Amino acid sequence: MRSLQNYAIIDPATGKLDRRIFSDQAVYDDEMEKIFGRSWLMIGRETLVPEPDDFFHTYMGEDPVILTRDGHGRLHALLNMCRHRGNRVVRCDDGNAKQFLCTYHGWTYRNDGTLEYVPGESEAYYGALDKPSLGLIKARIETYAGIVFATWDKDAPSLEAYLGDARWYLDTLFNRRDGGTQALGPIKWLEPVNWKTLVDNCSDNYHVATSHLSSARVQTRFIGRPPLSHEDQFASPNKHAFVNGHSITFRDADDNAPRYVHGITKETMPLFQEYHNATMAEVERRLGTVRAHRVQLGNHSIFPNGILGLRLALPRGPLKTEFWHFVLVDRDAPDELKRAIRIGSQANNGAAGLFEQDDVDNWRQVTEASTSRLRRRHPQELSMSLGHSGAHPDYPGMVSERYISENNQRLFYRRWEEFMNAESWADIPLAPISARFEGSATMRG
Amino acid sequence: MKSARQAELGSEARQALWFELMQFYVREAWLLDERRFKEWLNLFTDDVLYFMPRRKNVLRRELHREETSLGDLAILEEDRRYLEMRVARLETGMAWAEDPPSRTRHLIGNLEATPLENGEVSARTAFLVYRSHLETDHQLLSSSRKDVLRQVDGAWKVARRTIVLDANVLLDKNLSVFL
Repeated sequence: MRSLQNYAIIDPATGKLDRRIFSDQAVYDDEMEKIFGRSWLMIGRETLVPEPDDFFHTYMGEDPVILTRDGHGRLHALLNMCRHRGNRVVRCDDGNAKQFLCTYHGWTYRNDGTLEYVPGESEAYYGALDKPSLGLIKARIETYAGIVFATWDKDAPSLEAYLGDARWYLDTLFNRRDGGTQALGPIKWLEPVNWKTLVDNCSDNYHVATSHLSSARVQTRFIGRPPLSHEDQFASPNKHAFVNGHSITFRDADDNAPRYVHGITKETMPLFQEYHNATMAEVERRLGTVRAHRVQLGNHSIFPNGILGLRLALPRGPLKTEFWHFVLVDRDAPDELKRAIRIGSQANNGAAGLFEQDDVDNWRQVTEASTSRLRRRHPQELSMSLGHSGAHPDYPGMVSERYISENNQRLFYRRWEEFMNAESWADIPLAPISARFEGSATMRG
Repeated sequence: MKSARQAELGSEARQALWFELMQFYVREAWLLDERRFKEWLNLFTDDVLYFMPRRKNVLRRELHREETSLGDLAILEEDRRYLEMRVARLETGMAWAEDPPSRTRHLIGNLEATPLENGEVSARTAFLVYRSHLETDHQLLSSSRKDVLRQVDGAWKVARRTIVLDANVLLDKNLSVFL
């Protein structure tokens, strides 16, 4: 698998994937450095810190980070580590504070990271402490449609270049309305799963009709959820697309149907349809007619660990992932619609969610299959639809012919190799932005 | 804080109410642990709200923000139809999270019952649930329940249940058991 800086984990001709990347501690440590140390990581949403001096506690990989809005309204991503001995300076999930006090020795930082006060600065340090160099460690920060991303790597490209043409698809969810989105949550729990399995599952539509059949069936029976079957999925016009590590699945149909989300039931469907119709003119203005009418974002992941809207797969060692589930809703959507989405979200995707529940043991055992002598010798078989994807006249990225395909998973692990084998960002290929971004929506919303 | 009605109840009536409700909760615990979920559903009113807010780390002076309120994303916000759906799912033979099923033990206590003006009763309890699943997965969940109970056809039923777990990041792989 690894011969010094040279990982070859997936065979592009056969789709066979080396399992050892799911449990090897050395590989994991390398991932933290080369993937989580370099990537633009989704860390939150501007609406989580709406007012001056608000903060929200989050993570970049394993590193605790405080997302702050300072008194001037500027956003900062600060490593939650006192520069003296390393204690955390924030222990709350969120709040409002101009300063953060280290509870060990009293070093005090402003919410823009500046070290402001050190007890005994003149008496004990004799004025020799280099305070300006001892602010909280700061990440680079950029936003896309109000979603906050941060990176530790000064050589990382702009967030716009990093997202590239994936944004052409992502806009249809994140950038749909003038008022943007708001994030409800997160529900947090620990899954005994390697982080990559959660992420690659975002393009695994193949599992849905088996893993989630019981949940789909009872929801069809009790609340009128649209039925789900393998046959429907194989015949679906939907597709996968892959850009710069970001896995997209999207609905490709011009039939004026609202985007399917958990929470659509026979009672709420008219509400979603009405909202879809009422906002279409605005969506056309923002995204152009093709994207407004024909493209709806389905399951997706933003490399490395942002999945399905604003949900985070936070690595906690090779065999553990802390999962954060937020649900995104259009900020200006009617309250009844937000309520329907909220109810659908807890019922399906939270810690107690019906869809979510049935994923965990599958993912866990996929991870665990890499831990024993014999199982790890047999690779994962990601050969589905090999050779059935490529450039598409209408859609950016590497596009699959069908909705059920393992193309995105293969490409995800190829992207993983590109990051893991790179000395620096200079070695990591980035597809140029070539899609036509019709409409008024931009990175800024 | 005593309601007017509680003040009116004599000590004998208060003891009788406490005993009656304790029996109700012990019976509920056995129904859950013996996986008699359809019978368990009969303990709820048709208009029940089954609610589990998230619980945040906040400073002591901001404890009013510790539990998320109705309207924010909750771990559970279910009506009777959703609860029935969860129970029906277990019978499909494909509810993989609970097939094979968890082994649970609900221990319930610390009951305080307060009659309300409208004839309903507010009852709070504390419970521990031990869950064992598959080969070695296991978890201890500690929590409180605040229920509003109502008499329907001579039997107590839960009209509103608020479950507040003593956890921030849940340590369980999923919450596939009823609490």
